[in-house]
Amino acid sequence: MEPAKLDSLLRQLREVVGERYAFADPYEVRLYQYDASPETALPDIVVIPGTAQEVANVVKTCAEAGVPITARSAASSLAGGTVPVEHGVVITFARMDQILEIDIENLRAVVQPGVVNLALSQALKPHGYYYVPDPSSQGACTIGGNVGTNAGGPHTLLYGVTVNHVTGLEIALPSGDLVQVGGRKAAEATGYDLTGLLVGSEGTMGIVTRIWVKIQPLPPVQKTLMAVYPDVETASNAVSAIVGTGILPAAIEMMDKLSIQAIEAASHAGYPLDAGAVLLLEVDGIPEVAEELGERMAKVCRENGASEVRVARSEAERQALWKGRKGAFSAMGRLSSDFYVMDGVVPRTKLPETLAKIDAISARTGYKICNVFHAGDGNLHPLVLFDAFKAGQYEAVLRIGDEILKLCADAGGSVTGEHGIGLEKRENIRYVFSDDDLEVMDRIRRVFDPHLLMNPGKVFPGEGRGHSAQPPPSGYPRRQVAAVGGGDDLWV
Amino acid sequence: MGVEARAKVLPGHQISVEQQRLMSVDGLLPSKVIRPSDAQDAARGLRQCDLVPARVVVWGGGTQMRLGSVPRGYDIAFSTAGMSRLLEYEPADLTCRVEAGMRLSELQAALAAHGQRLPLDPPHPQRATVGGMVAANANGLSRARYGTVRDWVIGIAVAYPSGKVARAGGKVVKNVAGYDLMKLHIGALGTLGVVAEVNFKIQTRPEAQATVLGHFDGALPAIGAAARLAREYLAPSAAIVIDRHVLWACGLTADWRWTLALRLEGYAREVDAARDLASRVVREAGGRVEGQDILAAFWDAARDWSAPADEVVLLRVITPVVGLPAVMVAVPADAQALIQPPSGIVDLRVPATTAAVALEGLRGAAGADGQVVVLSAPPSVKPSLDVWGPPPPGFPIMRALKQALDPNGILNPGRFVGGI
Repeated sequence: MEPAKLDSLLRQLREVVGERYAFADPYEVRLYQYDASPETALPDIVVIPGTAQEVANVVKTCAEAGVPITARSAASSLAGGTVPVEHGVVITFARMDQILEIDIENLRAVVQPGVVNLALSQALKPHGYYYVPDPSSQGACTIGGNVGTNAGGPHTLLYGVTVNHVTGLEIALPSGDLVQVGGRKAAEATGYDLTGLLVGSEGTMGIVTRIWVKIQPLPPVQKTLMAVYPDVETASNAVSAIVGTGILPAAIEMMDKLSIQAIEAASHAGYPLDAGAVLLLEVDGIPEVAEELGERMAKVCRENGASEVRVARSEAERQALWKGRKGAFSAMGRLSSDFYVMDGVVPRTKLPETLAKIDAISARTGYKICNVFHAGDGNLHPLVLFDAFKAGQYEAVLRIGDEILKLCADAGGSVTGEHGIGLEKRENIRYVFSDDDLEVMDRIRRVFDPHLLMNPGKVFPGEGRGHSAQPPPSGYPRRQVAAVGGGDDLWV
Repeated sequence: MGVEARAKVLPGHQISVEQQRLMSVDGLLPSKVIRPSDAQDAARGLRQCDLVPARVVVWGGGTQMRLGSVPRGYDIAFSTAGMSRLLEYEPADLTCRVEAGMRLSELQAALAAHGQRLPLDPPHPQRATVGGMVAANANGLSRARYGTVRDWVIGIAVAYPSGKVARAGGKVVKNVAGYDLMKLHIGALGTLGVVAEVNFKIQTRPEAQATVLGHFDGALPAIGAAARLAREYLAPSAAIVIDRHVLWACGLTADWRWTLALRLEGYAREVDAARDLASRVVREAGGRVEGQDILAAFWDAARDWSAPADEVVLLRVITPVVGLPAVMVAVPADAQALIQPPSGIVDLRVPATTAAVALEGLRGAAGADGQVVVLSAPPSVKPSLDVWGPPPPGFPIMRALKQALDPNGILNPGRFVGGI
């Protein structure tokens, strides 16, 4: 941005949010150039509004100046969803992190977008309730971000993803309007379901400033099992067998051999090192039912090739099993300095052949690929290991990623189950949607955002200003080193 | 242009007077009918209508045609009857892909052959089509536990007036690629496009089912008991509170003032525990637990009671659960009521003569957080009723969405919220 324009915009934004909460110092804004994906781009200005009205005023100010706006909270997006590729203003929700209301009688909570996912469930726990969607990054990611990507998590198998748990939104539109849509505390509202449309729109239509969510009673008991298999194919078939019995598990997770080794080195979850695959299964229920279902699942696991089935006997044992799974991505630091996380989906019955094809890609290219994923809903997370300091490896890994997503699409699946399209998969979206499909989507986003200022450069192929527009004048720098590996459980 | 001259420029087939009568909407008659054979054919048909432009009313099974305001005009009856195939069904994936014109009962039968079901139960499944259920967001009593249409649709193919078919979502249960246009079309009453194919996720049928009936002297204790059960882990799959007229309409002859009917589903031992819990909650709320063996026909009749019907004025209040007592105060003495407390829904049949007054009173009682919709009214009464109530927040966006997808306003003109 030209210095004069930047100065003037910064002055206006400071009038909206206060001197402290809008800044453009090149050193300070660097912190906001990245998320959990390998892409980066510098914002011109960062704004930290304190109220919904301030957000609306910021959006209006930017829209009038024709400056792009990207919303960001925890920035745990794996798809570059919060990287401001067209620069401009980044709005971050660090100050809007309050749970506004817990209403047990209506089974609703009302939160600001910056509330950390896990913080809501922790606040609900004393009442005996929780908020269901539980991305593995739930200790860091926010509900605002979850709404942006329609986030999932291991326990969405039985209870659905974010959109199934959101009943209303307050959004700031480029027009400067602050609008409440949806039923909010009521089950539904008249008119089009704008809430459902906005969830998962990755900040390309408006910016969410308040969220009404459903809450539900905590299950009395959760029974967790670990089943050990010689290979992923046998484990995949066991998943189908379990589903075929009519049992509805709350979660079915799978880890392959390489993942198990990394996880064991990092967290000693108790997974056997010589296993070809491990399934983590969980059922909810009242004590006698959970017990019975646990036994039935254990039996099906054994009948379908499990060499060992271990049932968590205590909450501590259960937590240990889950700790391994939820810390899986960070454990990869034990195996490799860098890794690239994919997020493809296939119909559950296509898991064995898809995993075999991924294995073949690994063998052909020489890059190791780990698989840690939500087996129950066919949501794969292949992790391609590489060394970003070695020339050509990052580019090679991106090509492998493309190939894997193509595989998923061709198997009747999707190129993203829960991370979003973001920056990363703008081109891959063509594997699942035609030009006609994308044209309708583009027309709809322009209803909200006619000048393409809301998180521009995301979701739509063709780079830059939307699907039907011209490519941007230049590319954007890729980071040389992916800031991944080690650290906390930042990802799915 | 005269009527005959106009009929000449309209696309589609001539229909008999009898067919015209069968496909009338709020007293208006179509001139012609278009019955496409698949999604592409539907898009071609819509394009022809758009060029005229001809005003289209979309037909599925016809069970929800009383819903909505009186159309501004009606040239073409656009029927999905020729698109009724089950296109894909892989039981092990718990997903299926269905053409919009398939009857819901036929889909359920195909799924039941594999011990599975779509846990959506709108009225009259023998007539209702999959596409109609989606377009009208028609839900049944199971929404208490299983949610609504939006929770089970994972993909959609829509024919637009532009002549194009566009898809959204997909065939897998977890998918965030592209915008969730399924949500936009669910409940849009076909005003944005004609739903041609729908992909669903489905579920295994529950192991066991049971019903608990309790009778009460007042509605509020029964509503309170149902709301309390909805907050429990062992929540019923359906919970309704009905007055004695509805009870009789559902085939029971008892003379209870108010009845709380609870349907319990799940694993066998879970249902046993849920029955004990439900019985205890009914007693604690001052109700009397009655015999638990009732016919499945009871639940079918209760489900169909809220269906739009010819000579009935049917109002639906949707409010936060805590708003139900205030709404009940505004229910006219001569109304018949079926209440779904877990969803905050009150369905009322009211006499045509007092419908407008009842509607106004209920809108006041429902307050800013609730709404009241006319689900059904005879042609003689409907023009005097405000079917949808005031336009909801975000209405300018809704109107702009309509403009973006149906610029000539050919689809169900005037039937939707705010005259859309």
